[in-house]
Amino acid sequence: MNWIIWLIPAFPLIGFLLNALVVRRERAAGILASVMVGLSFAATIAAMVVLEGAPSEAKRLTWTLWEWIRIADFRVAFGLLFDPLTAVMALLITGVGGLIHIYSIGYMHGDVRPVRFFAFMNLFVFAMLMLVMADNLLLLFLGWEGVGLCSFLLIGHYFDRRSVPPGINPSEAAVKAFVVNRVGDVAMLAALFAIFTNFGTLSFYDNPQLGISGYLDQAIVVAGEMVDLGAFGQLPLITGITLLMLVAVTGKSAQFPLYTWLPDAMAGPTPVSALIHAATMVTSGVYLIVRNHTLFDQPASAAPWVLVIGVMTAFIGATAAVAQLDIKRVLAYSTVSQLGYMVAAVGMGAYVAGMYHLLTHGLFKALLFLAAGSVIHGIGNYQDMRRMGGLRNALPTTFRLYVIGALALSGIFPFAGFWSKDEIIAHAWFDARSPLAAIMLILTSAVTAFYMGRQIGMVFFGRPRDQAIHGHESGVAMRWTMVTLAVGAVIGGLINLPGLHWLNSYLRPVLQEPEVIYTVGMGILATITTLLSAGAGYLGWKTYACDLEPRIRVGKEDPLFRYLGDLWRGMEIGWGLDWLYQRVFVRPYRAASVFLSDVVDREAIDQVLVDGTARGLVRLAHGLRALQNGYIRTYALMFLFGVILVVAFFALRG
Amino acid sequence: MVPTSYYILLSALLFTLGVAGVLIRRNALVLFMSVELMLNSANLALVTFAMARQDIAGQMVVFFVIVVAAAEVAVGLALLVAIFRTKQTTDVDEIHSLKG
Repeated sequence: MNWIIWLIPAFPLIGFLLNALVVRRERAAGILASVMVGLSFAATIAAMVVLEGAPSEAKRLTWTLWEWIRIADFRVAFGLLFDPLTAVMALLITGVGGLIHIYSIGYMHGDVRPVRFFAFMNLFVFAMLMLVMADNLLLLFLGWEGVGLCSFLLIGHYFDRRSVPPGINPSEAAVKAFVVNRVGDVAMLAALFAIFTNFGTLSFYDNPQLGISGYLDQAIVVAGEMVDLGAFGQLPLITGITLLMLVAVTGKSAQFPLYTWLPDAMAGPTPVSALIHAATMVTSGVYLIVRNHTLFDQPASAAPWVLVIGVMTAFIGATAAVAQLDIKRVLAYSTVSQLGYMVAAVGMGAYVAGMYHLLTHGLFKALLFLAAGSVIHGIGNYQDMRRMGGLRNALPTTFRLYVIGALALSGIFPFAGFWSKDEIIAHAWFDARSPLAAIMLILTSAVTAFYMGRQIGMVFFGRPRDQAIHGHESGVAMRWTMVTLAVGAVIGGLINLPGLHWLNSYLRPVLQEPEVIYTVGMGILATITTLLSAGAGYLGWKTYACDLEPRIRVGKEDPLFRYLGDLWRGMEIGWGLDWLYQRVFVRPYRAASVFLSDVVDREAIDQVLVDGTARGLVRLAHGLRALQNGYIRTYALMFLFGVILVVAFFALRG
Repeated sequence: MVPTSYYILLSALLFTLGVAGVLIRRNALVLFMSVELMLNSANLALVTFAMARQDIAGQMVVFFVIVVAAAEVAVGLALLVAIFRTKQTTDVDEIHSLKG
């Protein structure tokens, strides 16, 4: 029954091919795409049932489609792997992905190119499934690049528009996402090379049938090896590989300092933001680390750096989210921040906690994005929160769902986010013994609650600030998908509830993580965190729904700008990384391009080389024309001189 | 006996006369005659050397030259008649339509 696992990625691929080549009508494309992801979800469930029958010491299903590369001893199989870790990822991708596909049928109705949209959404699901189902790093890289490509294509969905709210050029945003991701991908490739040269294989695990050995099974062997960096001294091999992987993660999972592409990725349609830039693609970095946890468990690994990057990103993202005025940008920075939590968790070795948060976040962040999409859709494509206000009456269902998503994101008891986030914080405090990280994460949690309170206050409470906006509730398909996700956001915590820890036991064959022993201290910590978050959330709501509400005006600065000034400005621009990159990389690059095109190409090559040759020939021809005057006597005279010259030559030569 | 150099001198004189005629005169018919003059000066030089070296080959070449000259005149005069018919002139300075 192992063959069932190749059906999982096959369905979305078929959906993509049909949508790309055959289907021409919007409705058919949407239904086809949703059905294919639904079938993929069913196949995942079936594969999980089959997986239950596998022996517990090697709990994985493998299916090799063909041998991909064979050079001497080096072999790469086009092989799929299905183990508990893949199962939970695939479940999230196909489950949440399927709901978002159904939602898109309503959301994309009347779009300029819906078929293209659905084709790329299916291609994305396929690529993401390849990423999590690959049994070797090279195939994983195929999925890794595939999701990047789909992200690029879908961010640029409105490529014919100069600007979409909040003033982003979609094609530029797409290119930005692609280029920034490239930085991480180069590191990923370098990590691949390093693993290939030192282990001679790219497979994760030993595959006795094919006789391929896996590098994760022999990570211990190279624990002490050093890499010579010439003038820079020596570096333990494991440190090098894990560091390169960390750089790859910062690119794909939008971590500091490469997160700048994610807020701009909101130029794509909202379902894209929900699926790709919140629930799945950006989590692939977390998956990469969890999959390679054997490397990160080594004493010499870069895991401490992973923790530092994660905590920094969590805090930076949350503070930046506070000052955003675009409804989707708040959620984008929030995603950056939540990804920081996950990366911090896996950096501490709390892989289950990281995966736990990945799954719950996938649910509630998808819900929030879809609800935000419902708001945007319902009020006629406005995204500026200053134009909204008082929408709870016009969009009652969306309002309730949004509040559920916000409570889950803020980590309020007993919603999903509370359980997963507190597990990470508890791990930081008690197991990793890193109070600084824990305090930063608790603070971040409070900031998270504040900006969600602010957003709800601004969007749904207060008075309607723009008289031109008349909200209306979204259609049935959109509402029901959101309700389904909301149920997940409420009870999602169940999957790893203290005392039950289902996720932990389910992932044990892969991660071998011991059960967390819950103490009173953890309870106190969780209570403090959730109370702090609730307080901050209330404060955010109260400030923006009551106290400062009259000062929110369309086109005017945020009311808190008066009190925070430059600090606020810094948060608004995402702490200036864009500003820095603009000056350090983009402008010099553009200047060099302009120099090459305007000076080197237009002046040197076009003018001097191409036109110059032609002009020189014309001038030469003008000179030679004078000789050809048509008078026979001139020709005869030249002839005479010629003869005299020839005769003189022979005569004088002697 | 007249010295060889006298013949050669005469030949050179005739040749120069021919060249000058070709370069200076405008009537195409006179041009032809000048060309003939040059050919015949060459003939004179050939027979002179043939006599001086007691070698019959030089005289043979002269016959060839006479034949070629006759053929050339036939073609040339025909061209001349054709040009006169179209242009109503035999002035070579009027005929410069191949100017570049």
